[in-house]
Amino acid sequence: MEKTNNSKNISLFDDIGDLDLLQLTKFQTILYKIIHFFKGIPNGVASLFKYIFSLIKNFFVWIKNDLTDIVQTFVNGDYKTKLSFIIMGFGSIARGQILRGLLFLVFEIVFIVYMYVAGFHWLGKLPTLGTELPGTAYDPRLDTYVRVDGDDSFKCLLYGVLTILFILAFIYTWRLNVKQNKISEEILKSGKKLKSAKDDVSSLLDEQFHKTLLALPLTGIFFFTVLPILFMILVAFTNYDGAHDGYSNLFTWVGMDNFNSLFNLNLGANNLSVAFGEILSWTLIWAFFATFTNYFLGMFVAIMINKKGIKFKKIWRGILVLTSAVPQFISLLYVSKMFSANGLVNGMLLNTGIISDLSHIIRFWEDTTLARVMVIVINIWIGVPYLMLIVTGILMNIPADLYESARIDGANAAQQFFKITLPYMLFVTGPYLLTSFIGNINNFNVIYLLTAGGPDNPKLLTSAGTAGDTDLLVTWLFKITTGAESKYYLASVIGIMIFVVVSFLALIVYNAIPSTRNEEDYS
Amino acid sequence: MARVKLTDVKKVYDNNVVAVHDFNLDIADKEFIVFVGPSGCGKSTTLRMVAGLEEISSGTVEIDGVVVNDLQPKDRDISMVFQNYALYPHLTVFENIAFPLRLQKVPQEEVFKKVTEVSEILGITEYLNRKPRALSGGQRQRVAIGRAMVRNPKVFLMDEPLSNLDAKLRNQMRAEIILLRKRIDTTFIYVTHDQTEAMTLGDRIVIMKDGYIQQVGTPDEVFDQPKNLFVAEFIGAPKMNTFRTNLIKENGEYYVTPFGSKLLVDGLKGEELKKRKIEPQEVILGVRPEHMVLGKDADNDIDAKILVNEMMGSELHLHVVTNDNTELIVRVPTVDLSHEERAKLTSGNEFHITFKGNVMNFFDVESEENLLN
Amino acid sequence: MTTTPKKHMGLKAKERLSNTIIYILLITISIVWLIPFIFLVFESFRVESTYQVGYVVPKQFGLDNYINLFTKTDFPIWFKNTFIIGLFASVIQTIIVLCMSYTLSRLRFKGRKLLMNVMLVLGFFPGFLSMIILYKVLSWFNLTSANSVPGLILVYVASSGMGYYVSKGFFDTISRSLDEAARVDGATRFQVFTKIIMPLSKPIVIYTILTAFMAPWGDFMFAKYISHATSAGMNVAVGLQYLISTPQNLSAYYTMFCAGGVLVAIPITILFMCLQRYYVEGVTGGAVKG
Repeated sequence: MEKTNNSKNISLFDDIGDLDLLQLTKFQTILYKIIHFFKGIPNGVASLFKYIFSLIKNFFVWIKNDLTDIVQTFVNGDYKTKLSFIIMGFGSIARGQILRGLLFLVFEIVFIVYMYVAGFHWLGKLPTLGTELPGTAYDPRLDTYVRVDGDDSFKCLLYGVLTILFILAFIYTWRLNVKQNKISEEILKSGKKLKSAKDDVSSLLDEQFHKTLLALPLTGIFFFTVLPILFMILVAFTNYDGAHDGYSNLFTWVGMDNFNSLFNLNLGANNLSVAFGEILSWTLIWAFFATFTNYFLGMFVAIMINKKGIKFKKIWRGILVLTSAVPQFISLLYVSKMFSANGLVNGMLLNTGIISDLSHIIRFWEDTTLARVMVIVINIWIGVPYLMLIVTGILMNIPADLYESARIDGANAAQQFFKITLPYMLFVTGPYLLTSFIGNINNFNVIYLLTAGGPDNPKLLTSAGTAGDTDLLVTWLFKITTGAESKYYLASVIGIMIFVVVSFLALIVYNAIPSTRNEEDYS
Repeated sequence: MARVKLTDVKKVYDNNVVAVHDFNLDIADKEFIVFVGPSGCGKSTTLRMVAGLEEISSGTVEIDGVVVNDLQPKDRDISMVFQNYALYPHLTVFENIAFPLRLQKVPQEEVFKKVTEVSEILGITEYLNRKPRALSGGQRQRVAIGRAMVRNPKVFLMDEPLSNLDAKLRNQMRAEIILLRKRIDTTFIYVTHDQTEAMTLGDRIVIMKDGYIQQVGTPDEVFDQPKNLFVAEFIGAPKMNTFRTNLIKENGEYYVTPFGSKLLVDGLKGEELKKRKIEPQEVILGVRPEHMVLGKDADNDIDAKILVNEMMGSELHLHVVTNDNTELIVRVPTVDLSHEERAKLTSGNEFHITFKGNVMNFFDVESEENLLN
Repeated sequence: MTTTPKKHMGLKAKERLSNTIIYILLITISIVWLIPFIFLVFESFRVESTYQVGYVVPKQFGLDNYINLFTKTDFPIWFKNTFIIGLFASVIQTIIVLCMSYTLSRLRFKGRKLLMNVMLVLGFFPGFLSMIILYKVLSWFNLTSANSVPGLILVYVASSGMGYYVSKGFFDTISRSLDEAARVDGATRFQVFTKIIMPLSKPIVIYTILTAFMAPWGDFMFAKYISHATSAGMNVAVGLQYLISTPQNLSAYYTMFCAGGVLVAIPITILFMCLQRYYVEGVTGGAVKG
């Protein structure tokens, strides 16, 4: 058999078989992995699009099947079913399931009444978000001019959206009603009995127990998270702000204007996209440093304390944990003031003569670079104890015989760290790092309480107000919302952009790291 | 005490994986049925479908004449013993056993009577006030059995109950289960991967592989008349020796010619072959280690060399290798061997093998089915 | 002299050296980490001035700041507010989170994975985004400004179901065969929940109650927005920040701020120290191990 020397003619850009991979040096392997990661991106993007396309296709197929089913139910159903198409719940009542039937019927009545009384009105206002400005009118009783309310754009938007959701809920319930009829007919045809009201109630504690348990939490989430987010996404397409708050002045749809101005790279003053770009890049840089400095320093401290031969382990850990037990806002506010221009640190420097006079005080929060460094450093002070706790917990779980075996094989302390400790750590804390990174992107408290986003940067001044060199997207969002002009629409746009950035990152990391499969599977 | 009937029972998971194919079985009242097979063969899944812990994709399960597909486990009048016992850690042994009775709102005196009755049968009365974590594996197992017994169910289900015990304890508990069966005269369905358990406990055994039933029969039937190669190799330890060889016909008699030998197929098997006029063909021949014996006819016997001999106490397990490098195992009882004969059975020595017709099993080379089915 | 004893001593000496270095590092770290709090405590006892100074140890020790905190600021109100919020939020939130995490952990139903994915994606939106409309709607019901307490409670508990990860991780560690055994024994799913799982869940219940109680004490963003500059509706975080938010306030109230900080830090820190065992278990058992 001929032996071919194939190690010379392989290009790292080709796909290399598993056995041949073993021939590469460490450096070549890393290079290979990087090259193929990037090569894989177009494929990844293509398959993402294929996936989305198939989702859409499945959606339409599902709709078609559903409509066919509805038509068939009508055609094949008995008179009770047919009547239920108009009078919801008729079929159920006629077949003896009074409770169910009544619930359907009542829902239908409520819906019709609502639509007649208010629904159509709000739907009508939705395209314009109101046309009548508030005005004044003379009130003879009070002998003065009083305010006459016009359309409130906010209410138009809110109730309009709620009406649409109500309509969707009605369609869903109507569909359920039709389906029930079909199922009931089938059950009766096969000779079995329909579930009585008592059966329904008792099944809520058994087969349907999940519905009982989830009812309250999901309602809360729907009204307090889903709905507001939906609303705010819509606001991004309006000009809702302090001056156009809907009550004293209308706001209306502006289409993609807000997004256009965000991405408009015209380099004039008050440029939104420049501000957005700068703040976004600092947010990402900050998140990166904040996460990884804490991670590695926390690991370092944990390993130090955990080392054999070190006494008083509990005390060292206890002291660190104590510092993170204090509520963050106290720590942050105090330290912020400590380093201010006339704060404790500068005062002590003056008093001990390290600084000669007031003109030499260190402006910790006023110099851009210094402020950014301080923020990262203080964050280390806040975060290392948490990381140390977690890492300690994991360290204790690494099987001791891994280390014993390594020692017998001749590994020294550093090698044991890099080949056993670190890989195990990274594997177990992969998901945590991701959530930590995302959390830091949105880390409002640390930035706002330390610097309030400052020092202010005139370059970042926009129609929405000021912004500073340590501002994160989320603190900028807060300032825009609570500022004088309250540009809510801008806040929405930024909020949506944060979402895009975060989901994008999450998707990449989630698919690149195998250990982020976060669901157990019981067979 | 009830009849259990499974008709065309099938289990398909969401990702279209079929775990159990068209399972058909009629279990008589008070019968002890064992489902046995390698991991993933579908035996536990089938048991759980009978219990109501898995949804039945298609087909029906009847208990005592009633179709139970849509009934919750608690309405099927069954009991189950789990592999890891599933004892409630926060309740005492007494309360664990009493749990099902309490759910049925049975009055206290009756609860006390029933629980103490059961605990006496199982020998766990002195542990009644302890919590599960203070008990050993075997004791926990008994508590789990007690909890299942106390309801007098129609069907008693056991899912690999002995798998978590060590070898010695397993043997002991096996005997106890046989005794238990005599006391609670009811229908048992028992799942295990251990063929020894299946053979010793079952009235009938259901051997499964990859979701299909391979054979249903009494222990004798599956041992003597395996339907296919899989069953033949699965039942019996050490494994049956199987190898390809030729079945030829000479002067009206059938012979097999493994490894350069020529052995007559005599006895009932020979008669059967003649009666059915089986064509001479290449076959897979199966002969159990205990049925291979020392041959006296050097010309027509199988020549082999001994590789290893394992001393098992009352018998030797000889690992031998034939002239074309096929390894076989032969079990030789040591009781009747003389010293010289015993000395000859060492590594490196020659060994001649022969066997009779009625221990031969013939399997089709392609379908692996027993030719004499 | 033979070489063996030398080598032997070398190993031990090396270890002693590295241990010494580590001890020095640890002591430095401990001091650095604790310093700000030591300073905070000292400054809270300073009587001679209420503005920031350049030294730590007071020239005159006294309880003036603490007394003034209670008499000259709205601190008692802020403390009361935060305490009430914590109390209600902890109970209601625990119920909601446990319902959610139990269902997702042990009950299987159609749409379960979809639900978890939807909530994951929802979590990618910055939480503050929903505040704008929530504030508006809450103000219609008069649940803001001076009436922030019920408004905040509502905001905290309503969406608390989304924070199910740690509790779910805990429930996942209880073997499913316990549920199955109970169901075969005749229990409904409701009875499994109450009779079997809940008695085994004391650690996670305690953890959830305590973390839910502690959270409102540190919330700044939501509390500030809802209380909308009305002192009577502020929690301790917003209130204390208000005390030092302008240069005038800073020079008048700085030391009282320190006193307030100490008063809030003590109970929370104690609670956290008791909790930390559960915290590590929860985080490493659930979120971190994945």
